[in-house]
Amino acid sequence: MAVDITLSVNGVPYPLTVDPHASLLHTVRGDVGLTGSKEGCDDSECGACMMLVDGRPVNSCSYLAVQADGSDVTTVEGLSDGETLAPLQEAFLTRGGVQCGFCTPGMLVSATALLDRSPNPSEDEIRTAVSGNLCRCTGYDGIVKAIAAVAAERAAQG
Amino acid sequence: MSVIDTPAQGSSTPERPRAFLRPDGKEKVTGLGRYTADLTFTGQLHAAFRYADHPHARIVSIDTSRAKALPGVFAVVTHEDVPDVRYGGMTQDRRLFAKEKVLWEGDVVAGVAARTVEIAREAAALVEVEYEVLSAQPDYVANMAPDAPVLHEGWAEYGADENLVRDGNVMSRYVIAKGDADAAMAGADVVVKSHYVSDASQGVPIEPRALVAQWTGDSVTVWSSTQVPFAARSGVAHTLQIPESKVRIVVPLLGGGFGSKCDFHFEAHVAILAKVTRRPVRLVFTRKEEFVAPDHRREGMDIELETGVTRDGRIVARRGRMVLDKGAYTGEGGFFAQMAAMHACGPYKLDTVRVEAFLNYSTNQPAASIRAPTAPQACWALEQHLDEVAAAIGMDPVELRRRTLVAEGDEGPAGQVFEKIGAKETLEAALELIGYDAYLRGELPDDEAVGVACGWWPCFGVPSGAYVKLNGDGTATIVTGAQENGSGSVMGLPILAAEILGMSPSDFSINYQDTDAGPWDMGSSGSQTTFNNGRAVVEAAQEVRAKLLAMGAEKLEADVADLELADGAVRVKGAPETSVTIADLAGTGEPILGKGSGEVPEAAASDASACVGSLGMESFLAPQLITHAARVKVDRDTGVVRVLDFAAAHDSGVIVNKVGADGQVYGGVMMGIGQALTEATWTDEEGRQKNPGLLDYKLQTASDGPRIQIRWIEIETPNAGPKGSKGVGEPPSVPTSGAVGNAIAKVIGRHVDKLPMTAERVWLAANSPAGEDQ
Repeated sequence: MAVDITLSVNGVPYPLTVDPHASLLHTVRGDVGLTGSKEGCDDSECGACMMLVDGRPVNSCSYLAVQADGSDVTTVEGLSDGETLAPLQEAFLTRGGVQCGFCTPGMLVSATALLDRSPNPSEDEIRTAVSGNLCRCTGYDGIVKAIAAVAAERAAQG
Repeated sequence: MSVIDTPAQGSSTPERPRAFLRPDGKEKVTGLGRYTADLTFTGQLHAAFRYADHPHARIVSIDTSRAKALPGVFAVVTHEDVPDVRYGGMTQDRRLFAKEKVLWEGDVVAGVAARTVEIAREAAALVEVEYEVLSAQPDYVANMAPDAPVLHEGWAEYGADENLVRDGNVMSRYVIAKGDADAAMAGADVVVKSHYVSDASQGVPIEPRALVAQWTGDSVTVWSSTQVPFAARSGVAHTLQIPESKVRIVVPLLGGGFGSKCDFHFEAHVAILAKVTRRPVRLVFTRKEEFVAPDHRREGMDIELETGVTRDGRIVARRGRMVLDKGAYTGEGGFFAQMAAMHACGPYKLDTVRVEAFLNYSTNQPAASIRAPTAPQACWALEQHLDEVAAAIGMDPVELRRRTLVAEGDEGPAGQVFEKIGAKETLEAALELIGYDAYLRGELPDDEAVGVACGWWPCFGVPSGAYVKLNGDGTATIVTGAQENGSGSVMGLPILAAEILGMSPSDFSINYQDTDAGPWDMGSSGSQTTFNNGRAVVEAAQEVRAKLLAMGAEKLEADVADLELADGAVRVKGAPETSVTIADLAGTGEPILGKGSGEVPEAAASDASACVGSLGMESFLAPQLITHAARVKVDRDTGVVRVLDFAAAHDSGVIVNKVGADGQVYGGVMMGIGQALTEATWTDEEGRQKNPGLLDYKLQTASDGPRIQIRWIEIETPNAGPKGSKGVGEPPSVPTSGAVGNAIAKVIGRHVDKLPMTAERVWLAANSPAGEDQ
């Protein structure tokens, strides 16, 4: 039995017909065609699939597409226009927060959610906020520094 | 020598400007970059494997008729559908699909291609395999007993490297020997013996491997998440018996490897399914498969060490016996016995040596290269052993290392005479960064301590190739066979070429990881991309430089000796207004190309005459030296260990790309801490994995991370890579667990003798009387 839903992904509405058991991740990667969000475990353990659903970070591998019906979904592709990078994207690059890049989309989404709710986080808060996103390359150092730098820049700009 | 510090998290020291951004960065942060699993092909089918149902069994029959009859199934293949050839690195002991026997739970018996992943997996389960079940033999130490059943009955007939000393379940036996260690041991003031055992662990790239194969005529292209595209190409060509010219391996963005994606793995399985079905076939591993199916994990190891010392800390003898778990097949890990033995010696002055290492078959998942293969476990054992030795002679462990670490002119374990080397400098730097003096003064709480460990790792000098070609607008393209695993080493190649050509790194594009484009390369393994491919790029750029200077000389009517390349132009030295731009020279349509490989550096001479089974690794080329120091806190009631502060001092020669080099240390240290404390593949009594998932195989998270301070000791190493560089990627995981182990021991008063040093093991060690089993 297929279900008709509408997902708003990065501001674009997609009327879709999905299986009731289809995950949000597979629906966005397959039906919507945005492959920035990654599948690393299909078990909510790695965070590579992190998306914002109505502003809240979720592991989209363990979230049904039908649960997101009518919601605003934001993926890594929605964090900037792809030309002018968002400050977090820029900072990840300049601070060594990106190596293989596979965890990066989910990491950026978690960081975006953090700074949306806590504009001036402590280092501990930053580390906790991305503790659901596994990275094997960077040791998290560049990632934590990047998020802290963006928060500091925003604070300086008032 | 120069020193570069990297400010730690929270430090107020301003950071160095980071001018060079990796060329693949934008696609990675925007989500637009394509990894293999992001590719889709019209008409594609999905693959699934039927794995062995027993860790050890003889195959009586395979019936694929029910699987083939399932609607949506396009093909089911077994050993009958591929040439009957074996493959493997130093020993050819494996087939694509198991034929006579299965030898571990991940052995592939059949492959399915179907319309959906779900149908493919259902069909794989419908393959009917009749077995004669044999006893599993997961105990890799017991497997070398004379009466142990031989796992590879036909081992003697296998093709193998003639230098390997093989005997039944012993895939390789190696002895490193110098002088008369037995006599020297007998004459030592103090002799200390230790026994350490390390569990197997995993590379765990966050990207599970993915492959897509598509044929056009007689040629196949395989898009694969491999670290070694040329090895993958050779593997497909050999196992399917087709020429390498008919096989093209393309690697889209690679989502990490850490060694686990080295070697030829599943490219031919997918290629044969695509050939039979005449459709593109895609295989994407689940996380569980990523743990269980690759013939690639960090080897379990049983390590006995014995050191004889004088009371003033001279090491007069080192003996050792190491047994390594090779698992079911050789893969590319045939050299591990020798490498492990070198790490049982370590970067220390040893009067005499006799270390014997065995690399044994078992019915476990095969072991092969994971970031500095054999070194972290051997180093963990040796460095704890050295702390025991120091305690036995009443010397501070750091002082023992000061007296025994090698320096220029000292001799290695088989007579290698070291050139300029930064071992002692890394020790002092790490001590300073961690605040060792404050620790010695007793300024830490009694549940905290500082542990120190040293280690080493060689550079691997191998052939490599690259082309540099100029574009008509004065930009350039590097075409290289090198593979980018995420470390940034390929991304950093333009830095080398730009300097030679007077251009900016951002003027270069890079064509990489496509076997039809770049020259042969070993791949992203052995921390050698900058070392070898960097050398190739330098030589290729030099050729372009010479051409540009000659063309400029003609154009400017000047002598080549009076010209320089700068700011994208050939110009007269001292008269920069007399110049011609590279764009003008390159824009005529005449190709301006350079190719390079460079001369492979060779390791210093050594004497392997007393060694057995030598593969020529007794001498370490341009050794990289490391000291790690860890401040840990141990909860004696629970055994939980937290690393609070970490210092990493490295001699990796001259650092070419500091952002990239720092990133290797941060990541490597965190991987090392995971291997020290939590990471192990737990198995049942038959060797089946019990924790093939990220919930139970516990990686370090951002919250677990200590403050990490880095110092680069930039020794001008003879015989190094471009600009005096050495490798960077593997050493950061080498002494990490040793440093953590030594710190734990200082808190609980006893060395934990099993790796990883889990909370349970730390608690048991802390609460079992000395001399009793932990």
